[in-house]
Amino acid sequence: MMPEFVLGCIILIIGVIAAGFPRPMTYLGRLISLEIPAFGLLLIMLAYDEMLALLTFIGVTAISTFVLVRAIERKEAAE
Amino acid sequence: MDIAYPVGLVVVAASIVIGFTALVREKDDLHRILLTDLAEILALVLIALVATDLAEALILPGLVVGISELMAVSEVYIAKEGLRAPTGPLFRIEVMDSAPGILALILVAYGIVLSGFTGGAIAAVGAVFYFMCRGHTEQFELIETVSGYAWAFWIGAFFIFMFLPAYWFFGVMIAGGAILIKVMAKMSLVGTMRRGGPDV
Repeated sequence: MMPEFVLGCIILIIGVIAAGFPRPMTYLGRLISLEIPAFGLLLIMLAYDEMLALLTFIGVTAISTFVLVRAIERKEAAE
Repeated sequence: MDIAYPVGLVVVAASIVIGFTALVREKDDLHRILLTDLAEILALVLIALVATDLAEALILPGLVVGISELMAVSEVYIAKEGLRAPTGPLFRIEVMDSAPGILALILVAYGIVLSGFTGGAIAAVGAVFYFMCRGHTEQFELIETVSGYAWAFWIGAFFIFMFLPAYWFFGVMIAGGAILIKVMAKMSLVGTMRRGGPDV
């Protein structure tokens, strides 16, 4: 097993716990925690030389962050 | 056989159990949407463990379906809750004043170098960032027209593959460039959702 694969698995588990049960239960906190399992996924893709998937995932993640921030912004403005 | 695959499967299974436990215990709808994003990441890990070209071929449509599903669900949520755009001044982030030009330029240039669907997504991030920070006054009919022609070129490239296979490299170049423009034009529309448009 390659080191980046092992590191990716560890970060994935940590990230899922962090995103599933964030300590201050805020929207932004959870959104930021979501980046941790995404990084684990990137490392696993790196271990298997899946370059196209890796780059596309980075691009699409950035766009999905915009979409989610828009929803969070409106929700917090309404409260 | 490599030990990595079973280990990876165990890790993903544990992650799925944790993630869906959080999803079941969650009561707030917006938190649930965020956890849907987490479930999508876990599904992609499951596909990535296949570790062949098949995995890449499956991840790309998975990403497209994921982003469109997320956009649709968040739109439905906003409509259901009756949320409106914040009326007060938008919060100021300094990087949004200083960075857009250079960052958009770098991302779009890198996207054009990559070409294809991946390049389109990267270039679209640059365009989205620019539109979000600077606002937009462009005519979107023009972008739609360009996107339509790019799609036609993409189809034309497949005809080159079928009828003139000797010119396959020409076809690859046309297909790569056309799908770049197509994806970039469509995804850059996301950047206009934050401010300025008449319907948002």
